[in-house]
Parts: sequence; C-alpha cells; structure tokens
Amino acid sequence: MTRARTAPVLIPALLAAATLLALAGVAFGSTWIPIENVAMVLVGLGDATQSLIVLQLRLPRVVIAILAGGAVALAGYLLQRVTRNELASPSVLGVVDGAALGVVIFLAAFSNESNALILPIAFQPLAAAIGALAAIALVFVLAGQQAASAIRLLLFGIAVAAVAKALTTVLMLIGPIYRTNQAARWIAGAVNEISWSEIVIVAAALVPLVILTVAAARKLPPADLDEISARSVGLDLPVFRILIFILAALLTAAGVAFAGGIGFVGLMAPHLARLALGRGVYTGLIGSFVLGAMMLVGADLIVRVAFAPVEVPAGTVTAIIGAPYFLFLLMRKQRNDG
Amino acid sequence: MTDNRITVDALTLGYGKQTVLNALSLPIARGKVTVLAGPNGCGKSTLLRAIRRLHRPASGRILLEEIDIAKLGHKDMARQIGLLTQSPSAPEDMTVEELVRLGRYPHQTLLQPWSAEDGRAIDKAMAGTGVAHLRERALGSLSGGQLQRVWIAMVLAQESDIICLDEPVNHLDMAHQIDCLNLVSQLNAEFGRTVVLVLHDLNLAARHADRLVFIKDGRVEAAGTPETLMHEDMIRNVFGVHSKVITDPVHGRPMCIPIGTAPWRKMVPVSDT
Repeated sequence: MTRARTAPVLIPALLAAATLLALAGVAFGSTWIPIENVAMVLVGLGDATQSLIVLQLRLPRVVIAILAGGAVALAGYLLQRVTRNELASPSVLGVVDGAALGVVIFLAAFSNESNALILPIAFQPLAAAIGALAAIALVFVLAGQQAASAIRLLLFGIAVAAVAKALTTVLMLIGPIYRTNQAARWIAGAVNEISWSEIVIVAAALVPLVILTVAAARKLPPADLDEISARSVGLDLPVFRILIFILAALLTAAGVAFAGGIGFVGLMAPHLARLALGRGVYTGLIGSFVLGAMMLVGADLIVRVAFAPVEVPAGTVTAIIGAPYFLFLLMRKQRNDG
Repeated sequence: MTDNRITVDALTLGYGKQTVLNALSLPIARGKVTVLAGPNGCGKSTLLRAIRRLHRPASGRILLEEIDIAKLGHKDMARQIGLLTQSPSAPEDMTVEELVRLGRYPHQTLLQPWSAEDGRAIDKAMAGTGVAHLRERALGSLSGGQLQRVWIAMVLAQESDIICLDEPVNHLDMAHQIDCLNLVSQLNAEFGRTVVLVLHDLNLAARHADRLVFIKDGRVEAAGTPETLMHEDMIRNVFGVHSKVITDPVHGRPMCIPIGTAPWRKMVPVSDT
C-alpha cells in the first residue's frame, strides 16, 4: 500500500530516466554526438552526416531496444501474475527459445543459395510467434493436470526450452554457413542492423497486443487468488490463464522477432517493477515496460561503449546480469519455502 | 416464486470413474441456514462446490429459483452465490482491503471499474467481520482467525444472497469459531441471506442449522430440523458412532456425546473430498 502511493512520483521519475537513457543511447557510439545536436536532428535541423548517423544507425537500435525490451517485460509481468510465481518469465517458460527455433527454421527453410530470403521479412515475426505459441502449448500439454502448479509449469518450461535450444543448435550446424552467423547473432540478442521497416512491423504487431494487455489487466487481480476462489468471484481462471499465456507468447514473439533472444529482461523488469511499485496492475504494467526498455537500451549502450569496435550482442549483457539475479531469486525462494 | 432458493435435482457427479454424488436431490430453503454434515468423503464439499458450479455434473441439474445454473454467466453466478472454500489462498503481500475488494469483481464492468457502491459494500463487509482496522495490513502478517474473517469479508462484499461456506471454522480456536458462526447466523437473521454450510462438528451444526442434511455415500440420508434428525440411531447409521444425545442446557438444541465407534464398523481408508 505504501509502495502503491509512491507510484505517482516513481513513474514520472522512471520515464524521465528512460528518456535520458534513450538520448544517451543515440549520443554515444564510435563518434560522440552532443545531446543538443541529437535534439536538432530529431526536430529536422541537424547537418547531413549527423542526421545519417542518428536517424539511420543509432535511433533504430534504440527504438527497437525500447519496443523489444518493453514487450518482453510486459510478457514477463503477465506470466508472473497468472502463475503467481516471480520466477516465471518468457525465457524460463521456453517461449524465447521456441520463438528462436521458429525464426531459425524460417531462415533455413526460406533462403535461397544467394543468401536471400524468398519470403518478405515481415514473415519473420510470424515464424517467431508460431514457435513461441508451440513452445507454450507444449509446456501446457506436458504439464497436463498439473498446469495449475506453478512449479511444475516452470520445470516443464525449462525442459521445453532445452529441447528447443538443442534443435536450434542442430539446425544451425547443418544449415548453410552464411545463415549460421546471422542466426547466432540473432539468438544472442543483437539490436544493431535494424531497419526502420522492421521497426514498423514490430510496432504494428505490438499496438493490438498492448491494447489487449490493458484490456486484460482488469482481470489480473482476481487471478491472484487460488483457482476456486477466483472462480467464485466470477473469473474463469483456467480459461483466463490460457488466454494470458497466448498473449504473453505473442508479446514475446513480437519483441524478439528482430531483436533476438534477449535473456532475462522478462524476468528482471517485472520483478523490479513489483518491488518498486507494489501490486497495482496498471502501474506494474507501465513500470515493467519502462524498466524492460531501459534494460535493453542500457545493455546496448554498454556493448557499444565497452566492446567497440566489436559488436557484441546486447542480449549477452542482460544475460550476464540476469542469470545471477535468477539464481538469487531461486535461492531466496528455496529459503522461504524451506 | 417457490420457497426453495436452490433445487438440486438428481445430481450425479464424480471424479474420473469414482462416483461422488449419486442421483442426489435436495431442496434448499430461501433465507434459512442449511448445514450439510456427514462422514469424511461422503460428498458434502463436492455438493457445495457443485452448487457453485465448480464441478460439471455427469447428469442431473441444479436450479437457482427456476433457472438452471448451466445457463448462467460467470459473473451472474458470482452475484448470486458467494463461496468460501476450505483452504483459499492469496499472495502474502496482498493487503486486507485489496482482498476484500476482489469480492466486488462480479459487479464491475469494463466501463464501470469501481463505483461508490463498491466502496460502501467493502466498508460494510469489513465492519461486519471486525477487520476494518486491519485494512492496510498484509495478509501474511495476520493470525489464522483474522485471516479467516478477512476471507469471509471478501465473500460478504460480493453481496450475493446465497452464501456457501465450506468448513469455515476449521483451524479456528473456540472463540473465533463462536464469533464466525454467530456472524453467519446474524447475516442470515438480519439480511435474510440463504446460507449453506459444510460443518463436520455435529454440535456446532445442530446449534446453527435451521435445517440439517445428513449425507452418506453421495446421497441424502436424511434432512430436517436438528431436533428431528439428531437421535442415536441416526448418528450410528450415518457416522457409525455410538453416542448419547442430550439437550444442550444453554441453547436447547440437541447435543451429541460420542461414546465409541460401532464394533461392526470396519475401518476402511477414506479420502476427504
């Protein structure tokens, strides 16, 4: 309750910090562009070279980082709420690896010898969505009657993730070499080399998904209860849970379709949002999106500044920070349960 | 309009191949306290949940007034019947007020998310159960008795005119048992709510029931006032227990003093559904 009251202060502060981080993400790079010049370019008054760098090279990766980080964080928030488990996230439940497998199959199946896709690139998010949905459906089918148990669900999720990862590796090893490199970078989560046309595809997919998320938010509080109590107050929890899983899978697919397998953002962002902002659904959704966006923009900034000129995928940074965070949560949970 | 708020009509229901309720029929009177009692595994909790449509019947039907519950929407059901299950659970960091507010969920719509009426209902529910002073507390910080009252407050906030409680005084100490059941009786007396309780303590059942229903092997063995039902032969038949029934000197209700299990009754494993 006390944390909920701090939300009106914290959310504007978060948004301000996110804006600064996004501007820094545009300003830093192989050449430094002062913030005021960035602002000039954004309002259409910059010089030609700086306009090219800002608009064609840096802004797209910042924008895709915001969209992808935010979308995956929203998916994580939904999953953590309906499974009543802070360890749930798109990567833990196998959704990210399912999407990865979908994309790798897509790249392998629809490329010709000259390394060009024979289908429009707009189909890539569709492939990711099919992979993500297949993974989450498989987790549900395997968990069967035990799907109500959050821990069982997580265990089957981890198993499905492992299988999807193995299949992805096999496909990359037997696939054409020129695709392997691209797939490897994609899987690690790289936000460079993103074009505006790809961003438009992601944004077009996200708009309806975010609207659905906001519409579903009203039903999240009764979903905090056990199944019988939730049904007693009029929420058909088993059906609602499946709808939320589908929504989370689609959000994840839209997020990772071009940005790749960004690890652990979907775990950390919603968890931190809940710690900072409390149980409120709308503040939790906004907080998760903003924190997820900041994490990926920040991670991309780190790889650009720390590892230049080598382009290290931003997903490696989120994974390096996220994996210990996951272990910390796991150990804390074990202590609490024991 | 009939006198029966709920009519259970030849209800058969089971888990897998095991039949739990076997062509069970039972009218439940409007504005009365009906207590379902019987040995472990007799199907009383299952019947309560079936009335709330949490189980799908294999055959038979349940009517609210004249309407088959199969035809009602989720929220419509929730506005008519509030149910408190035996072991409800909610996140420990949820506050008392947040939980009680969930009772208003069936009254809310997309366009009317929270109204003054909802606020009035939760205030009344918390005041009635004596938890108003706890409203900002986290559920994890409450004692068992407080927590149980908070859950009852959530069901009351629903303002359904039927209230179903499954073993509401399990795990409560004596003082809280009395408080809780007196509250239920009061709700029934003051607001004419139809109350259906599952209680395994026969003496509590006899004290609070207008109508007692003995269930055995998925069927109604007997139904009537506690005075007509509570006699030694009946208790031996339903529970397999030798007992002496006297009149409670304070409340004037029948009171059962168990003596021992009947010698011919073999102990078989029972599962409490």
